[in-house]
Amino acid sequence: MKLKTSYLSAAVIAAVVIAFPAFLGAYPLNVARSVMTYMALAISWDMLLRSGQISFGIAGLFGLGSYASAIAVMRGGMDPFLSILFAAAFAGVMAFALGFAILRLRAMYFSITTLALMEIFRIVMHNLHDFSGGPEGIVLSAPIFGGNSTALYWLCLAGLFITIGVSWYFEKSKMHLALTAIRNDETSARSNGVDIFRYLLVAFVITSIIQGMMGAIQIQSYGFTTPETAFDANFTLLPLAMALLGGIHSTIGPMAGAVLLGVASEWLKLKIPYGHLMVYGIIIILVILFMPQGLVGLARRMLRGSDKSGRKAGASHE
Amino acid sequence: MSKLVTSGLTKAFSGLVAVNNVSFAMEEGEILGIIGPNGAGKTTFIHLVSGILMPTSGTVAFKGKDITYAPAHMRSRMGIARTYQLIHPLENLKVIENVMVGAVFSKDKSLREARRTAEEICAELELDRLERDTTQLSIFEIKKMEIARALANEPEVLFLDEVMAGLNSDETKGMIATVQRIATERKLAVGVVEHVMGVIRELTQRVIVLEAGELIAEGPYETVSKNPRVIEAYLGGAA
Amino acid sequence: MANKRNATMNVALITAVAAAILVWRPTVLINGLQSAGLYASIAIPMGLILGIVHIVNLAHGEFMMVAAYITYMLCAATGMDPFVAMVPVALVTAAFGFVIYKLTIRQALKAPELNQLILTFGLAISMTQLANLLFTSQTRKLSFDYVSASLDIGDLSFGVYKFVYIGIALLMIVGLKLFLTRTTTGKAALAVGQNPRGAAIVGIDVDRTYGLVFALASALVGMMGAVFITSASIFPAVGSPYTMKSFCLIAMAGIGNIPGILGASILLGVSENILKAFRGTRGWADIVFFVLIITVILGRSIRGKKA
Ligand SMILES: Nc1ncnc2c1ncn2[C@@H]1O[C@H](COP(=O)(O)OP(=O)(O)OP(=O)(O)O)[C@@H](O)[C@H]1O
Ligand SMILES: [Mg+2]
Repeated sequence: MKLKTSYLSAAVIAAVVIAFPAFLGAYPLNVARSVMTYMALAISWDMLLRSGQISFGIAGLFGLGSYASAIAVMRGGMDPFLSILFAAAFAGVMAFALGFAILRLRAMYFSITTLALMEIFRIVMHNLHDFSGGPEGIVLSAPIFGGNSTALYWLCLAGLFITIGVSWYFEKSKMHLALTAIRNDETSARSNGVDIFRYLLVAFVITSIIQGMMGAIQIQSYGFTTPETAFDANFTLLPLAMALLGGIHSTIGPMAGAVLLGVASEWLKLKIPYGHLMVYGIIIILVILFMPQGLVGLARRMLRGSDKSGRKAGASHE
Repeated sequence: MSKLVTSGLTKAFSGLVAVNNVSFAMEEGEILGIIGPNGAGKTTFIHLVSGILMPTSGTVAFKGKDITYAPAHMRSRMGIARTYQLIHPLENLKVIENVMVGAVFSKDKSLREARRTAEEICAELELDRLERDTTQLSIFEIKKMEIARALANEPEVLFLDEVMAGLNSDETKGMIATVQRIATERKLAVGVVEHVMGVIRELTQRVIVLEAGELIAEGPYETVSKNPRVIEAYLGGAA
Repeated sequence: MANKRNATMNVALITAVAAAILVWRPTVLINGLQSAGLYASIAIPMGLILGIVHIVNLAHGEFMMVAAYITYMLCAATGMDPFVAMVPVALVTAAFGFVIYKLTIRQALKAPELNQLILTFGLAISMTQLANLLFTSQTRKLSFDYVSASLDIGDLSFGVYKFVYIGIALLMIVGLKLFLTRTTTGKAALAVGQNPRGAAIVGIDVDRTYGLVFALASALVGMMGAVFITSASIFPAVGSPYTMKSFCLIAMAGIGNIPGILGASILLGVSENILKAFRGTRGWADIVFFVLIITVILGRSIRGKKA
């Protein structure tokens, strides 16, 4: 019963979101695209975090996806839409290869390494003048779908829906048990049959595919990129802050955080052109100190609080 | 054929030899006591057999197959399960999910099958209200949950590292009965580490005694407890 | 025994490489040593925190940036020399570090490492963005005559000023060594670093020690921020690369090994300058560091597995 209502409300929200272009203009659709991109990145970051691994390299795979897609179109003459799939696959293959080395690392060593890899990708793109356009970056002949804002919106939304779907699958399948077990206690996981490396690799590859895909969608929508925009640290920072604020280790948390922070930052960007990102920093600090479970955790605790008292009342009747 | 055989098993930690040249065999359906003073190497021995640590030298064989360097998750899939002296609950999973982990990953069961298996095992161990968080459990319940999780791996060999520690006498009695029942019903080979000799006497058919990493005696509890070397080891440890 | 032989071998090897570089491209060695001094003197305070408080302070470079801006304002307003300004600036950053510790870091000491990393990450962003807000992203620079001091040896002419950084690094190493082994507070700090619970049992105030170490490290990095503006322009993001570099250097040296940080810095500085020496590879110099950090981390993890 409860499950059915939540499916129903999800379907209604999805329908409304799909129908947005019918009643929103180009500017709000643009903002919505940026929020959706960050949302997908936030969810993907969280999916790996469920195993306890903190990636600081979201921007790396995002940028890699951008470049793979742009170069495939520019140099390989690939169809722009196909190039998005190609970029996603490319990010996946890279993550697979890198995963063999870096998924043996833990805690800060893993985080720092992912950050360093991102920098390496950026420097490589910066320096391969002939191949990637160097510091000037790449300009495509035209954005995908002729730059039609409705089509671009739906493209981005499709990317987001895929992400939400995969994350939801992670929550409802064996992946949930595997990743949580790994995060809580690797020793215990190992002696109950969990092949830790395998599950980490799966999670790392899948989240990298999502990040690469969103990067490709981004460049195909805007039609140009440079090393500094494709590998912009904000693509790491903002999703991280969003997931934290909303509540980590869930799909709904990063979604809530992305809507809140995404809309807030658009507004702040207009008010304070320099330094509006300070809000992100402060939110990160406050959330870590006072609300480590995020908004969703807070809501859940309040709900469970009432639930628990209900159960107690029931028990006294027995 | 013996279920589990170690030969010359040795583990050295930078200088300290925690397990020294231990050779032994475990048979189907037997409950084996593993005793010895604190720091004798009992836990380390279980780590070596279950793949949590890799030995410095020596071999481990399970049902005739060499598994000396097999990773831990492969061993639990093959049929070696264990619990830990220090509790290891997965605190972000519910009680039922904790138990399901064993069935899902060692026996490749679907979530639904695993849930059914887990419920059966928990019922057998008299563990109820399975939707609880592990933080709401008493120590007795956590120990039962960890045994349930080990059983969900459907092992042929099970090691219980001080599961009775921290339990009161009623709980201990219940736990002894439980261990006996699961061993006979499932034809399990069980290795129990306990410091309380009453428990060992009641529960085991045979014991091995470790002291400073070495196997110093082996046999039924009644004989071993009269062995002068064993008495010496315990008295020496106490002094 | 074997260790000693290894060390001798390493020293011999390094000397040989250095001699080769000196003959081949003297400026590479000179520039390499100069950047090494800068890297080391920024990394050492972070190493102190990591070694004793066991916190990776991802806002370390930002502490330096803040100090650099304070110095900039002070010097621009009063005409003071940064080497004089460094005293009041160090006091201010010490207080700043102490307050940051008390208000934030301390609350997260018992939290999982994830929280600590993200917390200091949040601090770093807030500080950079605050600088952005106050000063915009425009670069700022003060010039001083003594910075252009140079030396001519034969055909070779090179700037000598930046050797001051090597001097500062050496002073820090010696000073910290004396502090940690000779003073009561220092000994207590060292004890806390090795075993906080044990230290608490013998009556050392762990929290106070952490606060002190944070203040001390902040003072040191504040001094560096003051000196930094003599030879570089500053902008809000100027500090952040140094956080990563510092962490990498500490990881290379091994946590707790402060003199080793200087050795690691020399390796990094010289390798970067080898690439900078050629027009074709100049753009790649930045990559050295990132490749090095990954190699070091992976190398350590593999060695850790074997042990
Ligand atoms: N990871 C390790 N590194 C170094 N020494 C270790 C390690 N693990 C155990 N030891 C040492 O090995 C020896 C054996 O320890 P072990 O835990 O196996 O003993 P035990 O028989 O289980 O003791 P207890 O009855 O107290 O549980 C001890 O001296 C212990 O300090
Ligand atoms: Mg033990």
